[in-house]
Amino acid sequence: MTESSLTQRIAPAGIPASGQQPIDIVAAALADFAACDTATALEDAKAKYLGKTGAITALLKGLGEMTPEHKKLHGAEINEKKTAIEAALKARRESLANEALNAKLASESIDVTLPGRGRGVGGIHPVIQTWQRCEDIFGSIGFDVADGPEIEADWFNFTALNNPPNHPARSMQDTFYVDMNGTDGLPLLLRTHTSPMQVRYARMHAADLSNKGKPIKVIAPGRTYRVDSDATHSPMFHQIEGLWIDEHISFADLKGVYTDFLRRFFETDALTVRFRPSYFPFTEPSAEIDMKFDSGPLKGKWLEISGSGQVHPSVVKNFGLDPERFIGFAFGSGLERLTMLKHGIGDLRLFFEGDHRFLKQFA
Amino acid sequence: MKFAESWLRSFCNPSMTTDELAHALTMAGLEVEEVKPAAPPFTQIVVGEIVSREKHPNADRLSVCMVNVGALSPAPLQIVCGAPNARAGIRIPCAMVGAELPPDAEGKPFVIKQAKMRSVESNGMLCSAKELGISEASEGLLELPLDAPIGADIREYMKLNDSVFEIKLTPNKADCLSVYGVARETHAITGAPLAAPPSREVRAVLEEVLPVKVLAPDLCGRFAGRIIRDVNAKAATPAWMRERLERSGQRSISALVDISNYVMLELGRPTHVFDLDKVHGGLEVRWAKKGESLKLLNGNTVELDEQVGIIADANGVESLAGIMGGDSTAVDLETTKNVYVEAAFWHPLAIQGRSRRFNFATDAGHRFERGVDWETIPQHLDYISAFILDICGGEAGPMDDQTINVPQRLPVAMRIARAQKVIGVAVSAEEMAAIFMRLGLAHTRDATSFVVTPPSYRFDIEIEEDLIEEIARIYGFDNIPALPPIARNAMRVRPSAERSLHALRAAIAAQDYFEVINHSFVDESWEREIVGNLNPIKLLNPIASQMAVMRSSLIPGLLANVRYNASHKADRVRVFEMGKVFSRDETVADGELTVARVSQPLRMAGAAWGGAMPEQWGTPKRGIDFFDVKSDLSAVLPSAAQFVAATHSLLHPGRSAKIMIGGKAIGWIGELHPRHLAKFELTSAPVVFELDVVPLTELTEKAFETVAKTPVVRRDLALVVENSVHSDEVLATLKRAGGPIISTVDVFDVYRGIGIGERQKSVAIRVLMQDTERTLEDTEIDAALQKMVAAAQEQLGAALRA
Repeated sequence: MTESSLTQRIAPAGIPASGQQPIDIVAAALADFAACDTATALEDAKAKYLGKTGAITALLKGLGEMTPEHKKLHGAEINEKKTAIEAALKARRESLANEALNAKLASESIDVTLPGRGRGVGGIHPVIQTWQRCEDIFGSIGFDVADGPEIEADWFNFTALNNPPNHPARSMQDTFYVDMNGTDGLPLLLRTHTSPMQVRYARMHAADLSNKGKPIKVIAPGRTYRVDSDATHSPMFHQIEGLWIDEHISFADLKGVYTDFLRRFFETDALTVRFRPSYFPFTEPSAEIDMKFDSGPLKGKWLEISGSGQVHPSVVKNFGLDPERFIGFAFGSGLERLTMLKHGIGDLRLFFEGDHRFLKQFA
Repeated sequence: MKFAESWLRSFCNPSMTTDELAHALTMAGLEVEEVKPAAPPFTQIVVGEIVSREKHPNADRLSVCMVNVGALSPAPLQIVCGAPNARAGIRIPCAMVGAELPPDAEGKPFVIKQAKMRSVESNGMLCSAKELGISEASEGLLELPLDAPIGADIREYMKLNDSVFEIKLTPNKADCLSVYGVARETHAITGAPLAAPPSREVRAVLEEVLPVKVLAPDLCGRFAGRIIRDVNAKAATPAWMRERLERSGQRSISALVDISNYVMLELGRPTHVFDLDKVHGGLEVRWAKKGESLKLLNGNTVELDEQVGIIADANGVESLAGIMGGDSTAVDLETTKNVYVEAAFWHPLAIQGRSRRFNFATDAGHRFERGVDWETIPQHLDYISAFILDICGGEAGPMDDQTINVPQRLPVAMRIARAQKVIGVAVSAEEMAAIFMRLGLAHTRDATSFVVTPPSYRFDIEIEEDLIEEIARIYGFDNIPALPPIARNAMRVRPSAERSLHALRAAIAAQDYFEVINHSFVDESWEREIVGNLNPIKLLNPIASQMAVMRSSLIPGLLANVRYNASHKADRVRVFEMGKVFSRDETVADGELTVARVSQPLRMAGAAWGGAMPEQWGTPKRGIDFFDVKSDLSAVLPSAAQFVAATHSLLHPGRSAKIMIGGKAIGWIGELHPRHLAKFELTSAPVVFELDVVPLTELTEKAFETVAKTPVVRRDLALVVENSVHSDEVLATLKRAGGPIISTVDVFDVYRGIGIGERQKSVAIRVLMQDTERTLEDTEIDAALQKMVAAAQEQLGAALRA
């Protein structure tokens, strides 16, 4: 369409000088704009009214030939129309831009239910999570953490713990021996419990207690070994040892600390703890600790959870401390046992199979 | 230890239910592991007498019995029975019509109905011991004594409304290894009266004494014995004794053996009965000599030495002292006529560990190594003699009782305040005194302490704590409060330059590795063939050959994890473990945390196998390679770590590296050597790593550097070098040559192929230059680049890529 043809077509409609009844120029513009469905078409339509040869421009030009009264009268009227047309143009422009954007966005839409891409994360073994939780709980009341040898000397594993060679209590723990002797000539062994760490740690810190009054307060989690293998026994398992020695740490304190521990570990006060007389060479009085949940699937069943007691005076002596002055408690619990109870796992062997399908459940 | 509740209650009968009694024992330290009814539930089974037995007209194996059940039926009952021992005159358990037999496996009782068996009417059922649920074996109908009252309820007649207690005794409770011992303890716990120990007197008819010489006072403290002649070894053990033995889990063997077992169970007194006619000369009690051996009752022959106590006669060793008798003087059902009965005190230290050395255990050894009362030896010898005379007949000689060297019971003091401090409760002195009274612990007391002289049956009271334990135990652990401890506070925190093991685990887990826990003992072939450790530490008593040696590397275990998961259809496996490894090391000495000659450092290792990424949409599939895992390690290694090409028997020689920090090797990374793939049934190679943990826990303190505001200039270089030239050499050469304005040089691409010579590669390098003070001039930049290229040409034979 050429400019001249436009002018010819439009001019008669908007020019009152012709003497005809003027058609409504604003309504025409609105209709024209609405009919445009692209930005280019709209700009063309705009020229028809607001361009150099557009209808409004022509009207404005026409004003120059009018009398001042007419000028005043028509000038305001033409400006009103111009403003209306400009507003309509702006609105149509925005609307076209929105439509274009919406179309683009629609074409770009994705299936947000597809899985995210990338590598994923692994996870910590459930028994080690228990280990860490125990460290956190005991750490919250100032227990240190220690670890030591797993191939251990007879003295640390047994004799220092008041369990000399041939003692009947040695048969309580079936021991793995290795093909090496210690400097005492006795065969080295795989530690049957984490209790040797009581002795090692206490000997390292005895002077701090004797001279500076710094209590011995430690947990020692780690691997332990016994000649045993079935659904409830593994030849290798984890224990956590606890030891608190000071001038006044009593059996009542042991009950308090361990009960608190179980409630924090299982995150419920709805459990009952009982201490039952037992025997371990390295504690006296000795207690087996049982617990019972007040609710949940294991409700009402007594579960053995730990061995414990007041450290035997001979052992305190082997710590390098005066048993007259220093007393305290020790306990040893199975980390697998705690984990099984916490998660309702029935078979110990699952912990040692390395099955991804099992491990992922704890990630 | 197993025994019938009724036996226990015959000595001490507290007014408690079975469950209450079991709980009370458990809470005093005698853990009742199991309480089982002596017989399962059943009803309307009575003593019947077979009046007549006819063959069943239509069945060879069945018989038709007429059974008298007394007042319960005016006429004898006709019952069809299949037992071979059914015959007229015997008394047997008879289930009446309407009787409920013990429940089956599903727990449903079996109800006896009137029935026709092969067209003959049957009005009940005659029962075996197995059918009553009181024995595992079925030997036909259970034949009752001929004086069993006809029509009496079997449960009452056989005392089946009883329970069997199984107690798990701790090694210190030697005094409770008998029914009477448990009764004594029941009295202490409950206060119910305790009957006097059972005793009998024996009148010696003969004058004969077997000469006994005790040559080892450190072995045998007291030795008593007597001859009994003309016994009937074939006599039947009375039913009541058999029943108590059977409920205690002891099979009835012969009267003499049963009597000995009975006295051991009731009083805790092991005794031994020799066949007197097989004893040559007198007896000698002594330590064995090296070279001597003994064939035991159980048929085993053991080699002896000076560590083992024995009883010998003129012919040689007869018996393993306190543990087991010998074969040559054993009593025999057919031939034994005259016996020698012995009861002795063997010192616990002389018995401990001996039977374990020979790899067997006996009830006698179990008791003697824990300690058996020496004072009651004469009473107990009389008691067993009286049973032998009653049951087997015969005539007894006088008791020969020699006391050589019995332990001394030293008084033990317990301070009241000390007991209160250790227990944590102010138990009153009066209460303590009452506890000692109930335990039968004779004592004196003053304002501050008690002094207890322990009885001869207690082997666990030597020091103050032993008494404190008795106080706590009988006072009741339940009555001791659970106190929140009061302690001084001191802040504790890990040094900021130290990383916890858990943080280290979390860091590698965040790289998509799952933690596993593998056994520390492995198959020896893993160590020898995979790790290349020809001298692993061996277990002396492994439970299986695949758990025979201590691992010196975590990697084979991880490879087994890969295999396990691959065999369970996983196409991508990533595992890690943190654990100790073990090897012989002469440089290690005994120390605070070390054991001489054993190196046992903590390691962390991982294995990645299968896809580099999980199979997923929009991501091309690619197998894992060295560089993926190298990148994973950047999450845990300090930035100063270097990867230096090196070979390891486990790893692909061209795709493995030592990891160095500060010139020290701290671990390995590499692709598994292809020769090990088959062993783990893998078709593609996993990439593995193993690191020492300690260096990874040491973090470097963060040091602040000014961030320069001057512009950074980037220039890219493409250098063609021989394949053998390592990229870190190229980068180091460039950096050195470029001088201080070079802030970074790194590789952003490596290309091999068209346009590049064979055995060559093109390395694309990004160079960033910056001066922290001023903007660089173009001339400086060009000069630096020229110097860098020149150095690469000269030192590495590099050429700028055309």
